[in-house]
Amino acid sequence: MIKVENVHKRYGLRKILNGVSFTAEKGQITCLIGINGAGKSSLLHAIMGLTPIHGGHIAIDGQPLGTAGYERIAFVPDHLTMPPGMRINEAMRFMEDFYKGWNMARANDLLRFFGLESTERLGNMSKGTAAKFSLMLGLGQDTDYILMDEPFSGIDLFSREKITEVFSSELIEGRGVLFTTHEIAEMERLMDKAVLIQDGKIIRSFDCEAVRYQEGKSVLDVMREVYQS
Amino acid sequence: MENEWDSVAFNSRDPVYLQVVRYFKEQIATGKLQAGQVIPSRRELGAMMKINPNTAQKAYKEMEEQQLIVTEGNSPSRITGDGAVLRTIRSELIGEAVDAFVGSVRKVKVPIDELLDLVRTKYMEEMNRQSGSDEGGTNHD
Repeated sequence: MIKVENVHKRYGLRKILNGVSFTAEKGQITCLIGINGAGKSSLLHAIMGLTPIHGGHIAIDGQPLGTAGYERIAFVPDHLTMPPGMRINEAMRFMEDFYKGWNMARANDLLRFFGLESTERLGNMSKGTAAKFSLMLGLGQDTDYILMDEPFSGIDLFSREKITEVFSSELIEGRGVLFTTHEIAEMERLMDKAVLIQDGKIIRSFDCEAVRYQEGKSVLDVMREVYQS
Repeated sequence: MENEWDSVAFNSRDPVYLQVVRYFKEQIATGKLQAGQVIPSRRELGAMMKINPNTAQKAYKEMEEQQLIVTEGNSPSRITGDGAVLRTIRSELIGEAVDAFVGSVRKVKVPIDELLDLVRTKYMEEMNRQSGSDEGGTNHD
């Protein structure tokens, strides 16, 4: 379980995270939902230790963040982090050299699954292809958890459909997935848990099937209630 | 036998696992899934219906509890061979459809004989239309 407890973060005087607490379970798909600027990306960065926090605790399976923690979590950023002149296969070799959990066989499966061309240069990829490539790098690691920052943002329909398939496949089986989005229409039936964030605070966190069962409400219905009240 | 697993339109307000169970019931009631037939694994079902693997798991658990499917040891799950259960599914689906129909037609306050005549005519028309298009080979329902 990824456990975030009372986390605070600010940039200068601006409070970005204001006492955030929630959990994301292993074997479940958790979606962090909020409008732009709500603190979603900051929260993912904080979990990955990519940005300092000013209070609170983050633990992965009971252990604080550290090198041991990072081997168990993969991060899929919303932009390319490798040099644009690199080719896809070179990036994969780089991963093999530097990431202990890299699984080349799985990465090659993913390459085929996404229809990526291994000799393509990263700088030449379309936005949709870049998103698939980033996902391949993240899912190609044998980690218990995977964090994805806006995997659908600004991407063409067919790439989005292909990426959505990941969530119903064995690629994520048994892992804990935590991703952010502000476009949930296509994703709402695929997530186990929704965590709504606004102004750096969690305003609601719920089991999606339970809300449909008990209240007959869609995730979007709950969002409307919460954000428009 | 044709199943169009990937074309199921899910609504967003009913639990997904119950919509999956309902889909199975419809397939059983219409004979597209038959008694004793092996069904896809949980993992396959998740991928085919594009649902979360946990939801597929939950749907199968529900169907086992309702004795719709049976899983023995490590063998793949099958549709039950229990005739009583299969008959129940059929009457359950018919009952639900009739309830919905009565619910909406009730407001019009139409005399029962007139209503039944209308139902008979419409139903026959629909059946004829459907068998006509089946012969054409284009209808997959």
